[in-house]
Amino acid sequence: MIRSIAAALTVALALSACTTTENTSYCAAPLTGNLESAIRSAESRLADGCTYHFDSYFQSLLSTAENNPDPSNPMLFSDFLMGVQDRGIISQRQAQSLYNRYFNVKFVSLQGDYNTCSQTCPVRDQVMSDMRAELHDKEMGLLRASADSQSFYRADNLLKETELVLEATCRACDAGGR
Amino acid sequence: MQLRSSLDSLQRLLLALPLIALSATSFAAPNSSGPVVRLFPTTVLEDIRETGQVAADMENNLQEVIHRLDLQQQLYTESLCQGADGDQGCERIAKQLGATYLEMLNAMSDRLPEMEHAVNSTRASLEKRLREELGQRTTPTSLQNALLGETTPAVKQDKPALRGRSGVRLSDRFKQYYELVATHRDGPGQSLAVVAADIYLDMEEASTLIAATQQEIARASLMEQLNQSFGMITPEMAAVVGGVKEILFGESGGEAPIASPPYVIGETPFVSPLAM
Repeated sequence: MIRSIAAALTVALALSACTTTENTSYCAAPLTGNLESAIRSAESRLADGCTYHFDSYFQSLLSTAENNPDPSNPMLFSDFLMGVQDRGIISQRQAQSLYNRYFNVKFVSLQGDYNTCSQTCPVRDQVMSDMRAELHDKEMGLLRASADSQSFYRADNLLKETELVLEATCRACDAGGR
Repeated sequence: MQLRSSLDSLQRLLLALPLIALSATSFAAPNSSGPVVRLFPTTVLEDIRETGQVAADMENNLQEVIHRLDLQQQLYTESLCQGADGDQGCERIAKQLGATYLEMLNAMSDRLPEMEHAVNSTRASLEKRLREELGQRTTPTSLQNALLGETTPAVKQDKPALRGRSGVRLSDRFKQYYELVATHRDGPGQSLAVVAADIYLDMEEASTLIAATQQEIARASLMEQLNQSFGMITPEMAAVVGGVKEILFGESGGEAPIASPPYVIGETPFVSPLAM
């Protein structure tokens, strides 16, 4: 009796290991095809429990879009992010942040509800550094994945203007003791 | 070396004053949803106008003396005085040239306090507006919106797009500022933040250089007075005069920057519900 129970347990453990291995390879398999089919695969896998792979899927989709640049790609990414958000895999804030970081002219790094003197000026160098890093992501999203050079150049110009305006404004804030 | 240093300082000042540029992207399309930012009230406009007037007076004052310097330099060259040591005629021309150069330094020296006052006044009024309007009444988010709302598709060919030497007369430059901000000051939601920031930063730089130049002119004058004893013309003198002409009177244009491609309004762009 004991022997048969042990054998059953061994079989169950072996089956479980097989399932885990199968699941891991299923989640980690590369997304193939064009952007739309890659998005469908990613959505399907996320629905099947591969939620921990969301970040790698997103980067993989960006690479796919980079190889097939098209002005409609931002819309596909937007739909994808909203679907993922609806399923609770990422928060609304994460979805907005990701979309805007890659596909919007505006900078996620320059946000805030307090005045510029008190919120941005004390960390101006860090903000500018973050914006420069974000511009690289916009280069990927807007320029390389969406073939939208005009929007990318607007973002680039916005960065330059922000740098100039913040330099002047923060000096003025300092001169007045904030 | 001292003379060279003073001349460099003088030249830097003259270079700095017209650096205030009109960013082409500052000609804003109205953003009615944004906050109304008033960076250029009447007091600031008046300061800019007055600074332009002082600059014009300084140019007029220097124009005549620089013209005389040109003629004397021409005479010196045509008389083959270069290297003609001991020639009394050449020594006389050289002394006259040095005296005119001194006159130019004195003219600068006379006008600089007034220029300093005007520049400092403009700087102080802009500083206050920038602090209050952009620093304290604007969030980073709304600042970004204001900057984007100001972006325009049209690049005006007759105006420089970035800070730098433009080959435009100093007084004309201030006149352009005045016209720009005076024309746009009542526009709905137009902040002209970039223009204000640009003018303010250049006023700061100009203010520092004016102070440094005032100190250096005294030394340059002394050195030239000593040179008068020997009747020498230095290459630095010619270089400074050339620089003054170029900057004040725009006799040679600077290289125009390459503008960013304009934003073409074509098909309605996709707007994601996730967009900020």
